[in-house]
Amino acid sequence: MPNLMPALPEIFLACAAMAILMLGVFRKKDDMRATATLAVVAFAVTALLVSGLGSERTTTFGGMFVIDGFAVFMKTLVLVASGLAVVMSVGFLEREEIDRFEYPALMVLATLGMMMMISANNLMSLYLGLELQSLSLYVMAAYQRDSVRASEAGLKYFVLGALASGMLLYGASLIYGFAGSTDFEVLARTFAGGHGAPHAGVIVGIVFVVAGLAFKVSAVPFHMWTPDVYEGAPTPVTAFFSVAPKIAAFALFVRVMVGPFGDLADQWRQVIVFISLASMILGAFAAINQTNIKRLMAYSSIGHVGYGLIGLAVGNAAGIRGVLIYFAIYLFMNIGAFAVILSMRQKGRMVEGIEDLAGLSKTSPMMALAMAIFMFSMAGIPPLAGFWGKFYVFMAAIDAGLVTLAVIGVLASVVSAFYYLRIIKVMYFDEPVESFDRPIGRAMGAILAVSAIVIVAFTVVPSPLVTEAEAAASTLFGE
Amino acid sequence: MDALLREYLPILIFLAIAVAIAAIAVGASWIVARQRPDSEKTSAYECGFDAFDDARSKFEVRFYLVAILFIIFDLEVAFLFPWAVTLGQIGMFGFWSMMVFLAILTIGFVYEWRKGALEWE
Amino acid sequence: MYVAAVFLPLIGAIVAGLFGRWIGDRGAQVVTCGLVGLSAILSIPIFLAVVIGGQPQSIELFTWMQSGSLDASWALKFDTLTAVMLIVVTWVSFMVHVYSIGYMHHDHSIPRFQSYLSLFTFFMLMLVTADNLIQLFFGWEGVGLASYLLIGFWYEKPSANAAAIKAFIVNRVGDFGFALGIFGAFFLFDSVVFDAIFAAAPDKAAETVVFFGTEWHAITIICLLLFVGAMGKSAQLGLHTWLPDAMEGPTPVSALIHAATMVTAGVFMVARMSPLFEYSDTALTVVTLVGAFTAIFAATVGCVQNDIKRIIAYSTCSQLGYMFFAIGVSAYQAAIFHLMTHAFFKALLFLGAGSVIHAMSDEQDIRRMGGIWRHIKLTWALMWIGSLALAGIPFFAGYFSKDMILEAAWGAHTPVGTLAFWLGIGAAFLTAFYSWRLLILTFHGQPRADEHVMAHVHESPPVMTVPLIVLAIGAIFAGFVGYESFVGHGMQEFWGNSILVLKGHDAIENAHHAPFWVKTLPVFVALAGIAMAYLFYMFAPALPKMLAARFQGAYQFLLNKWYFDELYDFLFVKPAFVLGQGFWKTGDGALIDGLGPDGVAAASRDIARRMSWLQSGYVYHYAFAMIIGVAAFVTWYMFNMG
Repeated sequence: MPNLMPALPEIFLACAAMAILMLGVFRKKDDMRATATLAVVAFAVTALLVSGLGSERTTTFGGMFVIDGFAVFMKTLVLVASGLAVVMSVGFLEREEIDRFEYPALMVLATLGMMMMISANNLMSLYLGLELQSLSLYVMAAYQRDSVRASEAGLKYFVLGALASGMLLYGASLIYGFAGSTDFEVLARTFAGGHGAPHAGVIVGIVFVVAGLAFKVSAVPFHMWTPDVYEGAPTPVTAFFSVAPKIAAFALFVRVMVGPFGDLADQWRQVIVFISLASMILGAFAAINQTNIKRLMAYSSIGHVGYGLIGLAVGNAAGIRGVLIYFAIYLFMNIGAFAVILSMRQKGRMVEGIEDLAGLSKTSPMMALAMAIFMFSMAGIPPLAGFWGKFYVFMAAIDAGLVTLAVIGVLASVVSAFYYLRIIKVMYFDEPVESFDRPIGRAMGAILAVSAIVIVAFTVVPSPLVTEAEAAASTLFGE
Repeated sequence: MDALLREYLPILIFLAIAVAIAAIAVGASWIVARQRPDSEKTSAYECGFDAFDDARSKFEVRFYLVAILFIIFDLEVAFLFPWAVTLGQIGMFGFWSMMVFLAILTIGFVYEWRKGALEWE
Repeated sequence: MYVAAVFLPLIGAIVAGLFGRWIGDRGAQVVTCGLVGLSAILSIPIFLAVVIGGQPQSIELFTWMQSGSLDASWALKFDTLTAVMLIVVTWVSFMVHVYSIGYMHHDHSIPRFQSYLSLFTFFMLMLVTADNLIQLFFGWEGVGLASYLLIGFWYEKPSANAAAIKAFIVNRVGDFGFALGIFGAFFLFDSVVFDAIFAAAPDKAAETVVFFGTEWHAITIICLLLFVGAMGKSAQLGLHTWLPDAMEGPTPVSALIHAATMVTAGVFMVARMSPLFEYSDTALTVVTLVGAFTAIFAATVGCVQNDIKRIIAYSTCSQLGYMFFAIGVSAYQAAIFHLMTHAFFKALLFLGAGSVIHAMSDEQDIRRMGGIWRHIKLTWALMWIGSLALAGIPFFAGYFSKDMILEAAWGAHTPVGTLAFWLGIGAAFLTAFYSWRLLILTFHGQPRADEHVMAHVHESPPVMTVPLIVLAIGAIFAGFVGYESFVGHGMQEFWGNSILVLKGHDAIENAHHAPFWVKTLPVFVALAGIAMAYLFYMFAPALPKMLAARFQGAYQFLLNKWYFDELYDFLFVKPAFVLGQGFWKTGDGALIDGLGPDGVAAASRDIARRMSWLQSGYVYHYAFAMIIGVAAFVTWYMFNMG
């Protein structure tokens, strides 16, 4: 009988998902208020369980499942992101009349998958978590099934996601074939000590695994689905997509690269450096021409992944600490920005054009201020949190001698400032056309305020997050 | 080498018997039954579709639904067989694992039932 | 208690600023006044505990930044120096908050105003309680920000905007020096925490740095840089030009920020850094000279100004000069003493001027006033008290502190100190002269305003006059009460370790033994100044005009404030414009924009277009890209691994 305690949060969340499903299907009404509330409660309880378990490294289920400080940190981020995403979704889905009870259930299942990914310690459990997450996400992308764009988004995501999963599996089987195990710890031991270059099969396997994971975090050149899916999917789903799965997939990426393949860093570093560069550059340039703000956020998120990948390319505790800080900050910037996007309603109709933000500073000054904070932060302008996120990553890169990467990263962030600042310019200097519908709702206002405060407050009180991230990162390196 | 090949002998026998039975069935109907072919009877039969036609033609989406639901329970059975065979070795934990698995599937089943996915009309 | 005293105004600022619309004008006033008042009340037990109880406090809130050996915390430091400033800042601020209720009641954005005032108070408290240079700098910049916001409070007025920008930019020059000073201190001491710096100062007293191939005395460099910051904030000669213009702000702001508190931040900072300045005679000499010349310069200009607030502004400038040359002769205690008394009587004068302006329907030109003392007797009496204190007439607050400074300057027994003494005497004469010129032209003689205005002249409501009375009490008694402990025999015990004066720098000690003529001369020149003002403006009103005509050049020179603004305009602003124009048109427009931003932007857009084109929308294109990507990676490895 394996020790179930480490997996208690996941077990609880799985039970919660099924309970939500059963509750929803046996209720008379089809709406999602009740199930959404339950889902938020479930996330909160799970977060408590996660933090209650402590961060000592423990494996269970025959070594397939691991918890450590890194897992606790990432799971907390994912749960926060998912919880906020549920809260943000309710209003939108009700107005679009697609507020069916399955939505929170799907979200809970997706989050369960993410938690599995974060705790995966074996190529098999990795795949299991990834698929549970992905299948839920495919459905969510196409959730607004009467909308052609949403269906298209769901279908594209599904087809390409299946391709990526296939690559991942192919890579996993190659690795198993050449290294003889799927267990991360065994793999790490196999590659440890530098017995010369590993077999080419292993390298090819790693490339395929990287490709599969890069798809999930939407890194170039596996990013193509991102803009279409972000634009097509219902906005709250996009908000969710841009945060929780990305963080989870990145956690998985980090765990795989520095865990079993940590000693092959010299081999895989070039690939990561390349996709990091490509993502930063594409994220910076391609967003310039966008007029749809969701599409713009898609490219922006591609760029952010590029910056995160710098930390992974560094591959030591400092780099991973940078990644963790980066994504913690990214979470709040993105959630906040999407809270604004979700409030972009004119006469009861959602609008998504950047020019629709014109004159927001006059019609809703507080919202414009919050959005300005998020945009400045995303552009990495000091002293907001976004700057520090980039700072830690770049510093790690420079310390590790990846100066070129850091320099190009800085240049890319300058280019990307172009479109972030353009949003601010539109909000503050263009004449208002039409104001957004008021009120935006108490929950949305609260999310906006909290996100903005976090972004600003990080500069003043950085130590809790930085300390946590440092502790979490060091657990990956057995220090 | 011989030892390895000998291990596959049962499969060879199995294949031979299968081919033989199939041949007997087709041959018997050919010899015994009356033959009165027309165009409908000689065309290939593929689940109600024309075998060589535009793949993008429309057809009832409910086929898919049934097929997907079928696959799920088909796989369930595929898991049940090895489980049943090894039940003696895997003990209580193995037993309850399968029970949990079945319970989860049952919840899915209840869901689709309540949603009316099992009703054709 | 300690923390609350500092942070209550911040809470008030946040509440009034963010929720002003909900709680309304009245609510914002109540919240901000209440919280600042509470903070003022708390400052008393703090003062008692720290000064009388002799228990300096240091409260560490949390770590702010830690990078290498740079280690700065948010910490509140309470010693005598801080406690004195705390009392001055919170009480004057409280009075101004209350006064503003009456003064601003016509205004549309009262919550914003009250919020700014409270925000300023918070930053000022942050500044005086700072425990390290970085936090001091935070408060320093914060008060600068609040000052900017408040000068430009009436942002519809272009002149207010211009003044706000001017204040901000001139202060940037000073802040640049200040920041360099902080860098220098960190470079030399490897710390920014006061205690660490002060502890290490004696060991580093002889340290030199090589810069541009020459050896420089390290502490002198640091002190001079820090002093440049102080000059900007405290409007000393050279960087003073922003202060008179800052009078564009509402009058309570002038009283609080540009008379009582913020402008004295420079004095405070130099006094705080006394353990450093004491090791640099050169720096102290510079401080003395700058202070003395500011005192006389501003006083001369004050004599010919016609705007009631500008006269008081130049007077402030001049009084700050006194404080600095007191510091220059190591009489820090006297400087802080004067800082305190000055805070009371200058705030009183400003608020009194505000009351006059209020009564005269926003008229500020003293040439269009006169003869109104019958109508606003209370204000008139209070202005008299303020002026008596400012002129240093015996037993008013200014007498004790200003005489102390002058005696200390004499007591320094150095050429520079003596020079400062004589310049100070001259300034004292002029101070009395322009103060009474202001009083006479404003309150006495024949009314020169039109009947319409005169009919409206009325005493201000109690909400404005009560704070004035409180300040007047300070202006009368603060000097008498504080003399013994600040600069008298209780000095050592009172200040504890907060100020360091080296042996041999015993100006204050000598001051107590100054000859009789030194002690009495200031009073005589003040009386002479008053007498001359009466002669000029009461008995022989033709005289000033005649003099002005006779000495046209000198008069114009003074009226135009020694042509400082014109000089700066000519030296910096115009060339900067020309240079800017040149850089803009040819350098930037043609060269850099063409190749740089415009070129890069155009290129960026071009790349962006191409990249968007890649995003075709077809699934098979996307899948193709993925497969190509994988294939490229694998191929790359195959070639690299040989």
